[in-house]
Amino acid sequence: MKIQVSINGTEYVRDVAEHKTLLSFLRGVLGLTGTKGGCGAGECGACTVIMDGKAVKSCLILAAESDGATIETIEGEAAGSELSDIQKAFERHHAVQCGYCTPGMIMSVKDLLRRNPTPTRAQIIHGIEGNFCRCTGYEQIIEAVEELAGTRTTKGELDYV
Amino acid sequence: MVHEFSYVAPTSLDELLATLSERTKAGERAVVLNGGTDLLVSVRAGLERPDVVVDMKRVPELHRLSFDNKEGLTIGATVTVDEVLASEEVRERYRVFHAALSELADHHLRNRATVTGNLVTASPCGDSTSPLLTLKAELVITSASGSRRMKVQEFITGVKQTALKPDEIVEKIVVPAESAGARGGYRKLKRIKGHDLGLVMVALYRTDDEIRLSIGSAAPRPVLIEGIKPGTDADRVKTMAQAAINPIDDVRASAEYRRAMVDAFIEQLLEEVK
Repeated sequence: MKIQVSINGTEYVRDVAEHKTLLSFLRGVLGLTGTKGGCGAGECGACTVIMDGKAVKSCLILAAESDGATIETIEGEAAGSELSDIQKAFERHHAVQCGYCTPGMIMSVKDLLRRNPTPTRAQIIHGIEGNFCRCTGYEQIIEAVEELAGTRTTKGELDYV
Repeated sequence: MVHEFSYVAPTSLDELLATLSERTKAGERAVVLNGGTDLLVSVRAGLERPDVVVDMKRVPELHRLSFDNKEGLTIGATVTVDEVLASEEVRERYRVFHAALSELADHHLRNRATVTGNLVTASPCGDSTSPLLTLKAELVITSASGSRRMKVQEFITGVKQTALKPDEIVEKIVVPAESAGARGGYRKLKRIKGHDLGLVMVALYRTDDEIRLSIGSAAPRPVLIEGIKPGTDADRVKTMAQAAINPIDDVRASAEYRRAMVDAFIEQLLEEVK
């Protein structure tokens, strides 16, 4: 079927197989490979995008369901070579190691900060509970978000290095 | 998805029901798509092989959440878990239900998943089932040929099995007004602090005259124990619960651990509502 979606401000009208997920549409049809596929079962959060203002897991949504939707992905973050504030904070705090969870993690953080610009540490942990990171142990990610929120009260991991 | 299917998205309840009826009569496997957080996982795992997926989210009549003192709480089929959690009425009047829903999966999934879908999936570890059992919730089941009402305990017939026929949908869940305002609590045992399926869950509902207890993940179907007199000795309640459950050993926990934690949770919850 033919679907129309707005992704990072660009309108796309494309034909898509009705059994394909939004994730495979983004990656396979549009070539937006920043969004990653992980577990395919809604557990790991690597495929997180923001659809109509809500953070969702794109492996559990059919492309057909997204007809008419407004979608934000990691490709919408940096402006040219200028990273977004969230990306810069992740870089400063070494919140990225292998990088596979990062696009989904950043979309979740973006959604969290929109709903709550000054989350507490507990609220940050709750906000990213749907995103698995197997490298960082989460600490540097939490610190990056605390810095963005202006709620950081403790010394960060990197301060000891 | 490895399995291929077609997709239709009716825009009215009549059209949805007619589509299900026609496709089913034509011998097709027509499966309703709601939040998709269980269905698409099942399709990928090869457990569900639909010919056509019928999306119900574009039917406005199904997206209603309301409370009044006569009818109680009505949750339309496509109302998401997050939308129920955002309702002040649910938070104030059905606190245990609210607490259980906030433990369901994670924020992203709650943005898509629906309470109705959680019931229709009929997993032994569904987070909404136990509190809805204690609240005596009923389902309105509708097809092109009419509607019927059914209690949650009659609806869930086994592990991932329900009384729903292929051409029927759960149109809404109705939680009686009489169940509003009860005290109680919810406990869910998980392996990690973040989102996880419950290893066992216990919901407790208490009014001045009665305690009701529902236990999930400890039997093929969630268990409901009604008519417990407030003030009943905790050991007596635990004995009743242990007789009603039938947990299994699996990759997530042993039956012995599940039984022990059911006892621990019952003790904690009874203490809380004394």
